[in-house]
Amino acid sequence: MRKFLIIGLFLLGLGWAVSNFSGLAAKGTYDSIVLDFREDRGTAEIENQVNAIAAQFNVRPQLNSRFSEADHLYVVKGDRQLLNALKRSNISKYTEYIEPDYIYSIPEASLSGVVDASSAQPSGGQAPNDPLYSKQWNLHNISIESGWAETKGSGVTVAVIDTGISQVPDLKETKFVAGYDFVGEQEDAKDDNGHGTHVAGTIAQSTNNGIGVAGIAYEASLMPLKVLSASGGGTVADIAEAIRFAADHNATVINMSLGGGGESSAMQEAIAYAHKKGVVVIAAAGNSGQNAANYPARYPHVIGVAALGASGEKTPYSNFGAGVDISAPGGDTSNGEAGGILQNTLNPQTGESIFAAFQGTSMAAPHVAGVAALVQSAGVKDPDEVETVLTESARKVQDDTLNQFGSGKLDAAAAVNLALRGKITFNDFFRWLRDNGYLNPRFWIDGGAVALLPKLAMVLGSYLLAWFLRSYFPFTWSWSLATGLISGSSGFFFLKGLYLFDVPQYPFRLLGSSLPELGSAVQGSSALNPISASVLIPGLLLALLLGHQQWKWFAIGSSIGVSVCLATSAAIDPTLMWIGGGAIARIYLIVNALLCFGLARLAMKPEDKIV
Amino acid sequence: MTVTGVIQHKGFGTGTWALDAEDGKSYELHKPPSELQKKGLKVEIDGEIRDDVMTIAMIGPVLEVKTFKVL
Repeated sequence: MRKFLIIGLFLLGLGWAVSNFSGLAAKGTYDSIVLDFREDRGTAEIENQVNAIAAQFNVRPQLNSRFSEADHLYVVKGDRQLLNALKRSNISKYTEYIEPDYIYSIPEASLSGVVDASSAQPSGGQAPNDPLYSKQWNLHNISIESGWAETKGSGVTVAVIDTGISQVPDLKETKFVAGYDFVGEQEDAKDDNGHGTHVAGTIAQSTNNGIGVAGIAYEASLMPLKVLSASGGGTVADIAEAIRFAADHNATVINMSLGGGGESSAMQEAIAYAHKKGVVVIAAAGNSGQNAANYPARYPHVIGVAALGASGEKTPYSNFGAGVDISAPGGDTSNGEAGGILQNTLNPQTGESIFAAFQGTSMAAPHVAGVAALVQSAGVKDPDEVETVLTESARKVQDDTLNQFGSGKLDAAAAVNLALRGKITFNDFFRWLRDNGYLNPRFWIDGGAVALLPKLAMVLGSYLLAWFLRSYFPFTWSWSLATGLISGSSGFFFLKGLYLFDVPQYPFRLLGSSLPELGSAVQGSSALNPISASVLIPGLLLALLLGHQQWKWFAIGSSIGVSVCLATSAAIDPTLMWIGGGAIARIYLIVNALLCFGLARLAMKPEDKIV
Repeated sequence: MTVTGVIQHKGFGTGTWALDAEDGKSYELHKPPSELQKKGLKVEIDGEIRDDVMTIAMIGPVLEVKTFKVL
């Protein structure tokens, strides 16, 4: 009987651990591996190591892009086997990290048999004839050409709430609708800073016109709304007015490459008004490198955008965490202009047209606004549905514990393809969750942090199993045992996705972690800490609590939970801090899982009854 | 409020003047006088945080300079 009970509890814990396994939350595939060599090692030594890899594993490591040399960022073709081999090898000492490259996955729900998976792949490009197009790595990174094969944003109006827009030569063929200058209170919303024109260029630069650069939704119309003065600042009141103006004048996308200030109900209401009128509102996450997007990106119904560099990494300046819904190229000019986003704008001193490379989340937001216009042009109009298309089609980033990338990296081709399929089912559960998370702009839920639906199903299933066990075995389910099971196997996982603005997220990661995960929860690492991922904590708990009739069951429960968590990690992804992945980690985890199970069994002495 | 720090020029958009304060925070200077537009200048600024202003630089709180002292 006791045996059945232990096995039953083991299975129960296993269910929890499997459902909580992050690998299932964002399962991705990859066919190449990124190696980031340590800067302090010197180029010659790194080259030696690169050659050693080539010889030892019969692969050809290559610099990721022409921007990767300073960073020593290499990629090699390979699978999990090679990844683990590399991690185990001597080479890992010379690297900052070795990890899978760009884990892309179209969510299963969106592939639901309507079209075959191959159509989600970029199909045939059509490069425009703009001579500087080859320098626009950002457009290449979001797979724009396959998106253009379907739509170029025709029929959609994008409002650019910024420093105004000047009709520089490479905007001559772009369509404009009437806007307004809220700073100078006049009809003509010319730019006197250069920022707004640059942002407008990313959205709808005249393309295939034989001059300059390209823009994303170049058949869309631009609505210039000037709210920021020549110095680049403006008041919340003007911005709120501009949002209402856009909504009242048939704009269906708003881009706000601006931020700062405090909470303002005028602005929040203006955004809610625009959302209700069917406008997709997009804003930059901010450039202070802090944990949480700034206003207006953090308001309800605003898509907050973080900035990526040319290699797809989070830029050092980009805000992250709460309020970041998606990431897109924002550029990094710290190593030269080639790393920035190139558009046609004006020199504010002379008013002359220039092609300038800027960096910032200001540059990332208009990428999303441009793709939102493509999505609307492809037939998906509702702002919630557009957001779903953008976030579901984004390239998922695995192990994004700090939410640096939101739902992933913007992908124009995948977004347009998903929109054309026309079967957008905005999950009611997520709508409920998000709207409740957005009851006020003080807290935020990262829906992608954990796979919630399978988890809820597993929790329900576990309760059914518990009910089943109870009807067979004469024991009363005790809270101490259940608490032990949860703490041991999964922790209060849902807390991992909860953020309070301007507050560190690690307390939630700690509460949302199981006992084995505790040792790496503060750093936000997905690798397990071998100290906490061992028999140590359950052993201590049992030693301390064995004498207590009720709390003893907490210790037994957690011992079983930890056993299951470790066994699951050993089976799916044995990665330990300091040790890495592979056989050593796997054996370590299995041995400790068995020890935990043995401890639990020993502690359930025959004369004991669960109270 | 009074903040002490070093003037910096940050490369967002066409560039913005900032104060990297001693406490590690960065402030965006709102319409700084031309005497303050000098990289590396150590200053003490008496000013006001403009919570009602949003900017393209988004590097931190917006500080409107009232008076300043070069250190």
